This record gives sequence, C-alpha cells and structure tokens, in this order.
Amino acid sequence: MTQRLELPKGGFNFENYQRNVALEQQGLKLPTPTKTGTTVVGIIFKDGVVLGADTRSTAGSIVQDKNCDKIRYMAPNVYCCGAGTAADTQFTNSLICSQLELHRLATGRETRVCTALTLVKQMLFKYQGHVSAALILGGYDVTGPRLLAVAPHGSTDKLPYLVMGSGSYAAIAILENRWKKDLERQEAIDLVQEAIEAGIFNDLGSGSDVNITIIEKGKVDNIKGYARPNRREPKCRSYKFARGSTATLNLSAVTVTEGDAMDTS
Amino acid sequence: MATQSLRVVPSSHPGEGSSSKSIASTANSFGVHDTFRLGTRSIANELLPSHPLERRLDQWNQTQINLKLTMERRIYGIHAPIRHLMERNIVSKVQRAPILPSSNLALDILMGKDETIEFDDFLNDPELSIEPMDLHASMEHKLGIKF
Repeated sequence: MTQRLELPKGGFNFENYQRNVALEQQGLKLPTPTKTGTTVVGIIFKDGVVLGADTRSTAGSIVQDKNCDKIRYMAPNVYCCGAGTAADTQFTNSLICSQLELHRLATGRETRVCTALTLVKQMLFKYQGHVSAALILGGYDVTGPRLLAVAPHGSTDKLPYLVMGSGSYAAIAILENRWKKDLERQEAIDLVQEAIEAGIFNDLGSGSDVNITIIEKGKVDNIKGYARPNRREPKCRSYKFARGSTATLNLSAVTVTEGDAMDTS
Repeated sequence: MATQSLRVVPSSHPGEGSSSKSIASTANSFGVHDTFRLGTRSIANELLPSHPLERRLDQWNQTQINLKLTMERRIYGIHAPIRHLMERNIVSKVQRAPILPSSNLALDILMGKDETIEFDDFLNDPELSIEPMDLHASMEHKLGIKF
C-alpha cells in the first residue's frame, strides 16, 4: 500500500484512470452516463425570453425519468436549459448558480446574463469538453432580454432563437419557419410549445411534457407541464384487491398503550 | 514552464522529457526506489496513458498565476511580482501540521479566491478525507528530510 504524504487536493480525482484503462484493455465494459437526450428551446419575444424543454431523460435506449426538470434557476432573472450528460448539466448549473450568488453579494447588483455565460464558458473550456453540458441561458437584465447558448467545449452563440439537444433539428425547423421579430407573449409561448412538441414527437431522445419558463422584466413564470401531449389514458377498471382477498387463518391483536418498559436488569 | 511566458492555458502537448520516467520522487536517501514505504514499483502501470485532463488541471492554476505575474512584471517592473510573491509566501507559512487541512483565508484573499466557488471547493473536499496519514512521514516529506 502506498502511503499518502500530502493532503489530497479537492476537485477531480484521476487516481483510478490508469486502473480503468487496464481493465478496459482486458475487456471490461464500463458503465455509460445518463444523457438527457433532449429538446430545449429559447426564443426572444417583444418584452422578454421564453425557454422551453421536454422532460425525458435517457440512458442509452432506456427512458430513465419521464418527468425531469431541464429548466433550472441560475439567478432571480436568469434561467438555464440544459442538454448533454444529466449530471454534468446539473452540476454546472448549480456551480455557476453559486458563483453568481457570491458575485451578487459582492457587487450588490442584478446579475447580467453575459456574466453567467462567461463563467460557464470559461469553466467548460478549462475541462475541454469532458464536462459535457450544453446550455441555453435566458434572462432579462439591464440590457434587456438576453438569450445565449454554450456548447460543451465552451463556444458560445448569441441569437434571437436557439435550440440544443438531440431534438434540436426538429425544433429549429419550426423556429426557422415561424419566428419573427417582436412576437407577442402568447405567440411566443405557442411557438416554443410547438417547437418542443416537434422534438417530442420526432426525436426518440425527447418525450413526455412541455415545460415553459417566461422571463420578463422583474417577473418570471415557471409553467411545469404547459402541454402534456403524452398523457396516458386512465385505466378503465380498478385493479386494487378488495379487502379480505387473502384468507386469514387466525387473528390476534395486541393493543399497545404506552410501550413496554425497557429491560435494564 | 518558461518563467516569462504569456501562456493563458497549459500547453496541450506533453513537455520535453515526459516520456522518460524518474524515481526522484519516490527515492529514499540511498537514491533507489523506496519499496518499504511505497510498495513495489510497477513499470507497466507507469506506462499506461494518463487522463488527457490530468496534466492540464494540474498546471492550470500555475499557468494563470504565471501569466499574471509576467504581465505585472512587464507593466510595473520586477518589483510588483516580487512583492506579490513575498506576500503570498509570508501568508502561506502559517499552516497547521501537514496532515491537518489549513483554510489559509489570507492566501485565498491575496489570490482573489475568497469570493469564488469551484469544483475543488466541494468535490473531494480534503477536509472530509478519511485516509489515515502519518504525521512524522508527512512532516519529513514537507521539510525534505529523507531517511
């Protein structure tokens, strides 16, 4: 056994990497991470930003969660949609969320979306795409409605409508066709719903419900299950067992009033 | 690493001599691998590739600090980096015994890390480490004493 002479450093630990390489060379199959095969969408409308996401998370060909939350809080005026490895997007989100909170405490100002974006892209660039998080950041700050996206290697986009995830091809088709400048709020919500539903129906990695978040000046609306296109028909009969379905041979009941005193002898 | 480089991120190519192996870090006072303390040496293990991120993350902070010091030197003259390094050196002298974690708040403030949070601060936190360590061996290692 090797003896440790210095305190271990925090952060990522590569101690087992070489062992795992050796095992893999001998034919061991290593487990794969859970991916959010995803459709996430963000668009800018007249006075704000609408973010939308489906709610399916997958591991290979298995649906692992039918109702997971892909639109998450980052700052009171900034929300974030995540695609990629589920754990990585969640940790990236919560890490940057904490950094922004500390930054707000230090500066006493409202967070700007580009601050969040810079923190995310610098962090992702440091890890060279090994932290596989693709995020869409949407928010309303002093510069107005802002919509930005980061890819896992740290490259960023600033566009009036953005999509990410495996269902992005289906969703971008809808947005390319129907998005226009200065949409009304309800029009924007309908457009996002339609784009997400295109992902849900045409991409196997996306499914279940449509979650929508609307960010306007000083106001955020989170709508879970804005559309539920995949509700299961309720069962026609009840399959609960009737009382007394299992025969009992005898019955003895003990009434406990105060509990027995502990035997301490 | 060149002391006056303006590199922003560590080089992605392994540096010179990275393919050669040395026992300098595991040698005892006789200059041979210390089998009693560190166990038998496995060449096969040492030749396996390391994770592509490992070296980058190892050198990340040092590269960034180096960049800042080099820029300070070019803008303000050599006194600025010397002064900063001296301050950091003074502050990092005050530490607990090497098997106990030291918070080193003053050093964090000097490095501008007191108001940030990163993966190192909450993943694999050394303060929560349960690995037993030998105080005497750690102290000898820290002071560079070899028996």
